[in-house]
Amino acid sequence: MHPRRHLTTPPAAAVLAIAAIVAACGGPGTSLSPTSGPTNPPATATAGTPSTAPTETACEGDTTADPSVTGELSVFDWSGYDAEIFWQDFKNKYANVKVTFDATGASDADIYNGISTGTHTEDVFHPYTGWLQFYVDEGLVQEIDTTKLKNWCKVPDSFKQVGQINGKQYFIPWDWGFSSVLYRTDKIPNIDSWASLLDPQYNGHVVMWDDGPGAVTVSSYVHGWDETAITDDQLAQSKAEWTEVLKNNPTRWLAEPELVDSFENGDGWLAYAWQGSYATLLNDGKVPVAYSDPTEGRNSWIGVYGIRTGSTNTDLALRFLDEKLGDLTGQNLVENYYYGTANADVMAGITDETLKTAFSVNDPSILQKTNFTPNLTKDQREAWIAMWSEAKAEAGVQ
Amino acid sequence: MIRRGPRPRTDPRRATFLGLSIPTALILLAFLLAPLALTVSMSFHEKLTSDILGPFEPTLQHYQRATSVASYWQLLWTSGVMAFVVALVATLFAYPVAYFLAFRAGSRAGLYLILLLVPFWTSYLLRVMAWKLLLGSNGVINSLLVGTGVIDEPLTALLYNRTTVVITLIYVWIPFATLPILAVLGRIDARLHDAAADLYASPFEQFRRVTLPLSLPGIAAAFLMVFIPTVGEYVTPLLVGGNAGIMYGNVIEDYFSKSANWPLGSALSVIMLGITLVLVVIGVRIVQPRRLLRT
Repeated sequence: MHPRRHLTTPPAAAVLAIAAIVAACGGPGTSLSPTSGPTNPPATATAGTPSTAPTETACEGDTTADPSVTGELSVFDWSGYDAEIFWQDFKNKYANVKVTFDATGASDADIYNGISTGTHTEDVFHPYTGWLQFYVDEGLVQEIDTTKLKNWCKVPDSFKQVGQINGKQYFIPWDWGFSSVLYRTDKIPNIDSWASLLDPQYNGHVVMWDDGPGAVTVSSYVHGWDETAITDDQLAQSKAEWTEVLKNNPTRWLAEPELVDSFENGDGWLAYAWQGSYATLLNDGKVPVAYSDPTEGRNSWIGVYGIRTGSTNTDLALRFLDEKLGDLTGQNLVENYYYGTANADVMAGITDETLKTAFSVNDPSILQKTNFTPNLTKDQREAWIAMWSEAKAEAGVQ
Repeated sequence: MIRRGPRPRTDPRRATFLGLSIPTALILLAFLLAPLALTVSMSFHEKLTSDILGPFEPTLQHYQRATSVASYWQLLWTSGVMAFVVALVATLFAYPVAYFLAFRAGSRAGLYLILLLVPFWTSYLLRVMAWKLLLGSNGVINSLLVGTGVIDEPLTALLYNRTTVVITLIYVWIPFATLPILAVLGRIDARLHDAAADLYASPFEQFRRVTLPLSLPGIAAAFLMVFIPTVGEYVTPLLVGGNAGIMYGNVIEDYFSKSANWPLGSALSVIMLGITLVLVVIGVRIVQPRRLLRT
């Protein structure tokens, strides 16, 4: 984004009010749009608890082109997700449908704020687990008739359950992945606990994700707390511990390229990371890395699509969601961005060794050992984000 | 016979002024004052709603929350000090540039001015990211020092700290600080220098007793133009500040972009705006621009 600049020369008295107002709106820069790829997905939470990795189904979707279907469909999505490869099956099948994206979402809050305030009126939107309950409670999302989805049979039941709230299917799962501790094996022989991120012996080299819920999730794993019932005392303890981490380590990451760069330039030795960063580092081959299987279990996140309440474009929206689960679209997601897809056939067909390693495809029990955080209330989420913000402020002024 | 037309009801200069200023005023009203009013209104809402213009029961809960966190106050103070240093140094660096353009560049002044503004032909983000490439562990400086054997390990202190943020912001602001000073210097009547010379004033005395006093309004404008936006800066600290270089604007940004808590973010913004205005008013009282203009 471009900075605001004044090229005129107003006298001091005249510039005061304008400049002071500008101060409240931010400095010379404005908001960041992180990267060209889908690098900001997960809130670390899901409603269901998938227990098995997707395995190949006997299901066959219908890829026959249907030029008779016409119309327009609008999608509110994250930055980078408007790339054609992420809806390739729909494009191929319904060539006469015009799809318009607003791909300005940069955070879960952006998606939620846009839909909840009515500033975004697109037909389809893309939230992540941990934020789903709000949409249902506030009547912002339509129930989905999955009998109309030809690719629905490719989705494992455990993933289907993620989009079910109050016994109804409101969302279809699409992308997913792990969160765990990524570390350089030439610097650290083995990491078997999330507690390593809080360990002072690694001061100077820990790169944490810039995310309050992610931080509280780690604290809950380390201390064995019930993540759905974090007390004020526990939150205070979490804040104190993360303040120390932030104070004693140079930086945190917002987008995955920052994390990858910090590992490759030698600054970062261990980090909270998604499997995409792991796969990228494996492919780059510049530094030796491993992705931990902590004794507390990995974390996992799942992205879903929903149809906005008020959209009268339900037929096209359903077709779009159906084709999001198509094979080609899923392959593109996995191969280009190292994200998992809810299409079990695609996951079962992975042959690339790097991807198999990144998704632990050879470990059939991996999801049984993984923590799928339940949905949170709005108060919980805001308290966790406030905790992280205060920890950053405290670390910054010390 | 000369026929006199009816006397115009309004002064044509006034009509011209209004005609020229109304579009700008409308734009400011729509895109500056209205959003500001919405921000203030939002800070008194209990939660973010779609009906922001509708009736609501005002609450002070977000102000209570924002003012109860000691580290936010400390961070606001730190951000203020950083903005002061940035504004002071940027203005000091900008003055010689403006002086050169006004009095020494001659017919090439326009060309030099364009060169001064060349950096703005590229993205702000790109320019700040360039600093990251320069100062990072694998950056130009570290590579040079390691490559020449001056150091064995890259210097980590070059990036991700408060000093880096300040230096980067100074670099960003210098061209902007130059412009108000240049405008004031350009209006100084050259005959004043001749008169001073006739009165045996040395070049230094001419500068100290003629040029500098007359350019003080431009200096004050440049300082404030840098200081005020810098207090709320958040992009530069996000890119090069790391954990130690965080500023108050980053806290505000968290509540707008990572949380759905716009009311709290708005309350933090209004607090910063209010305190910045108070500081500026105090500064203006101390500096007294009108007195400077009479100097």
